[in-house]
Amino acid sequence: MNQHQLAGYAPTPVTARMENHGHTMLKVAMATGQDLYARTGSMVAYEGFIQYEPNPPAVRQIASQWITGEGAPLMKCSGDGLLYLADYGADVVVIHLDNEALSVNGTNLLAFDSHLSWGVERVKGLAKFAGQGLWNVAVQGTGWVAITSRGTPVVVDCGRGEDETYVDPDALVAWSPNLKVKGKRSFKAGSLIGRGSGEAYQMAFSGQGIVVVQPSEDSTDRLRIRN
Amino acid sequence: MAREFQRGHKAKISDLTAGTDLYVGVRIAAPGLAFDISCFGLDADEQLSDDRYFIFFNQPKSPEESIQLLGAQAGDTESFRVTLDRIPANIHKLSFTATIDGAGQMSQIGPGYIRVVAGGEEVVRYAFDGTEFTTERAVMLGDFYLKDVWRFAAVGQGFDGGLDALLRNFGGEVAEEEPPAPAQGAAPGFAPPAETSAPPAFGVPAAPQAPQPAPAFGAPPAPPAPAPQHQPVHAAPTIVAPLAPRPPHAPTAPQPPQAPMPPQAPMPPQAPMAPQATGPYGQPPQPPQFGQVPGHIPGQGVPPPAPPFGQHPPAPFGQQPPVPQGGAPQTGGGLQAALQPYKEAATGQRWTSQNQQLMRADLTLGDMPVLARQGSMVMYQGKVDFGYKGAGFAGRVVGNATGQEMQLMRCTGRGQVFFAEDGSHLHPIELQGDGICVSAENVLAFDESLQYEVRRIEGHGIPGGALFTMQFQGTGTVVVKTHGVPVVLPVTPTTFADCNAVVAWSSASQVIVSSQVRLRRNAYPGHSGETVNLQFRGAPGNFIVVQPYEV
Repeated sequence: MNQHQLAGYAPTPVTARMENHGHTMLKVAMATGQDLYARTGSMVAYEGFIQYEPNPPAVRQIASQWITGEGAPLMKCSGDGLLYLADYGADVVVIHLDNEALSVNGTNLLAFDSHLSWGVERVKGLAKFAGQGLWNVAVQGTGWVAITSRGTPVVVDCGRGEDETYVDPDALVAWSPNLKVKGKRSFKAGSLIGRGSGEAYQMAFSGQGIVVVQPSEDSTDRLRIRN
Repeated sequence: MAREFQRGHKAKISDLTAGTDLYVGVRIAAPGLAFDISCFGLDADEQLSDDRYFIFFNQPKSPEESIQLLGAQAGDTESFRVTLDRIPANIHKLSFTATIDGAGQMSQIGPGYIRVVAGGEEVVRYAFDGTEFTTERAVMLGDFYLKDVWRFAAVGQGFDGGLDALLRNFGGEVAEEEPPAPAQGAAPGFAPPAETSAPPAFGVPAAPQAPQPAPAFGAPPAPPAPAPQHQPVHAAPTIVAPLAPRPPHAPTAPQPPQAPMPPQAPMPPQAPMAPQATGPYGQPPQPPQFGQVPGHIPGQGVPPPAPPFGQHPPAPFGQQPPVPQGGAPQTGGGLQAALQPYKEAATGQRWTSQNQQLMRADLTLGDMPVLARQGSMVMYQGKVDFGYKGAGFAGRVVGNATGQEMQLMRCTGRGQVFFAEDGSHLHPIELQGDGICVSAENVLAFDESLQYEVRRIEGHGIPGGALFTMQFQGTGTVVVKTHGVPVVLPVTPTTFADCNAVVAWSSASQVIVSSQVRLRRNAYPGHSGETVNLQFRGAPGNFIVVQPYEV
């Protein structure tokens, strides 16, 4: 077999704890004592000796309120080696938090260092609305976080004008936790008789901080061939 | 994200990618012409002092294999693998050149590029086309050069004389001394028309003096002399063709609608893994690397992973200069840096592409509402009102016929609205009095100032009975979405498109439905074997847009 054809996909040398391999794959350099929480089922390959513990006690406790039962969609990875993670071809964004905090939509969280402090919370001020509720994971401290986005995301600075920024909840990926969040229903009488604009509900952000938005409103249908 | 370079742009390789194992792809083509693409490994004086570092099709790799020729692949006319950290110290510059084989001139070339791919991702691309050149027969496309660290420069400099001029520029004496060897080696492609030596004639015409005769090419004899001395000959001053960028004839690419984006997708960027003894994917010989990683990656901060794995062969771990962050090198750590590449683009235009998949409409400019497909808004800032907009009478006809009306919403107010849908690629098309037909399901948003009407194209076998298109006319912008990177074809007497894949066409072209019954047996049970194609007719200048997706 002519390996030239494939050689370009070989891993690049490790230079950091987390790196992108292409747009859609995350490469994590694992080491003993530096555990990682990753989305369950996101592992696509690994080299070395890595163990996976789905639904570990620590997660169970923190995420006890996450959805209803079943346990949290996180697994704890420990060991030495290289771990490759991906989420059905979603773009992966690697972030190194430098004593910062980020609030990530539960479905968009791919992995984070276990030594970061984190918590699951329901978005304040929002009634459960879309059936799935809106859960997010607030991650804080100094360490690495990887988030996914269906398509190339855009980062918007909220503090730019006095106006609020409104985001479709399905397209929301992450935001700065110090932003004020509230829900906004843009119902009108017309929408009740089937003539809505299609945009019935948004989240409004105000304050200083950033919002990360993905170019897709479909956060549930992962088995879609994307290009 | 690939960076687009213009002629004269330069950057440190380390700013582009953390890797040193690079794939370089060159695409250059012109009707009826053949090109030879080669790489010159030059010393500090920009001389080809060691002709084993003239990499071309007869000498596909340098002695220590730090530069290898890989051949045509993945949309590239020619490709190389370059392992920067294995290049001998005396080589200070790699110059990638393209030469026309035979008659012809560079102004005839179509859109082309030189690109660098690392780690499966294209990191930089310099695109050029024939408008930048005139009668040149050779062109230096780009350089890797060593100035403290390795850098990449988009050169785009032509040479009137073709390969001889190029060789003189690099090596000096084409005729008298050693350089004939390369020149002749290149015979099949490069030899000046006059002395077309038979291909196998390696060193023939100049054989007498050539210090190292023909066989040198196939198997470079000596081990990689780390610092081959300059023979005095080579020190002779050359015709220095300065790299100063020439007055730009026409800043790159007023690309015609044709071929909007060549196969850009990060394609098999082969290069990196040498066919070296090491395991398939360049697994380094000894596995214990794992043990070593920990030391260097204490979770955060990422101190320079001191080069513990000094071994140069493509070792997956370690061996790298300190580059703090995967995504955004050199900008310091933290959230801001990591998200920098995704920052909102700010330009004072009404329609701005944030990236391939997100479009921002600034309603404060232009002062007219935008009509958009319902549900396509992902975010807005400011005071924007979203209202119901029926598709009008024609729309209702459509709705009745298909059972699914095209649902539009009307965005009014003052603010910025971001549109996206399912991660499709979005393309703004600005109309200035002309018209375009867009398949209804590919319309994402458009200015209300445009007049539009829904038309149906009926044909036997079209799913739903007919294909609905929206014809736009007037002045304004239509945002069209495609799944994947589309192709734009000029309309010729024989232009056909699958009715499911066609996205848009210029409204001056005429559409004819043609059904074909394939002779082949059914593709699968239940498949009728009949496909519906649309044939397009029109005057030259018309085009159609087709997406790589058929649903």
